[in-house]
Amino acid sequence: MNPNRDVFQAIADPTRRAIIHLVSQKPQNVNSLADNFNMTRQAVSLHVKILTECGLINIKQQGRERVCEPQLDKLIEVSGWVDQYRKFWDSKLDSLESYLVKIQKKKK
Amino acid sequence: MEEYNSFKQEDNILTHTRILDAPRDLVWEVWTTPEHIKEWWGPNGFSLTTQSMTVKTGELWDFIMHGMGRDWDNKIEYVEVKRPSLLTYKHTGAENEDYNFTVSVLFEEVDGKTLLTMQSVFKSKAIIEELNIKVNAIEGGKQTLNRLENYLKLIKAENNELK
Repeated sequence: MNPNRDVFQAIADPTRRAIIHLVSQKPQNVNSLADNFNMTRQAVSLHVKILTECGLINIKQQGRERVCEPQLDKLIEVSGWVDQYRKFWDSKLDSLESYLVKIQKKKK
Repeated sequence: MEEYNSFKQEDNILTHTRILDAPRDLVWEVWTTPEHIKEWWGPNGFSLTTQSMTVKTGELWDFIMHGMGRDWDNKIEYVEVKRPSLLTYKHTGAENEDYNFTVSVLFEEVDGKTLLTMQSVFKSKAIIEELNIKVNAIEGGKQTLNRLENYLKLIKAENNELK
């Protein structure tokens, strides 16, 4: 649909996050997903389509059924982004720690 | 940002996406109030008269479109109304029941703009082809979204003048 809808935009929507959660618990078709939402099947199907195009869900044909499976490698982009800030805070907290040690030594 | 704008047909489903330079609440408002919607709904050159509009699940928007030298009675039934993020409605009241179709519109916030994703589900692919021949449906849909985009720009320009 559009190459520019990235993984961050894909998971910005609460319904789409819930769909990811549900299919990672158990791969299932759109009808059974739709049972979990107070929403039309068409709207749930549209969210699934967006997730598919962002590469977070894979549709597998099983007989007559189309089953949505999680495909979560792309979420690495999200954890990678968060990781930068984890490193930032790790180093800040390391500095804080050594600063606290330093000022306490001075007091003694 | 323009890359967000897309159109795709898959079998009996048409999907449009459009990024609109307006806050989501405003985009919702121009979809759900008669004063606003008459300014942009319909293909180029069309005008519109609303008979009644109640944007609630199970209620109707009853309106007449004027264009191509005649009046077109239209009825839209709201199937789901989740302000300000999701609107699903069914086009009913066409001369031929096979022409009825259901549209879901997602309104999402992206960098202070609104990303619209519209999915129209028709009875069959053949019906889409038939509507294309009769009323140039796909092109008309694109023109409607262009008019929406231009109308939002106009509102923005007017608001800037007031400041």
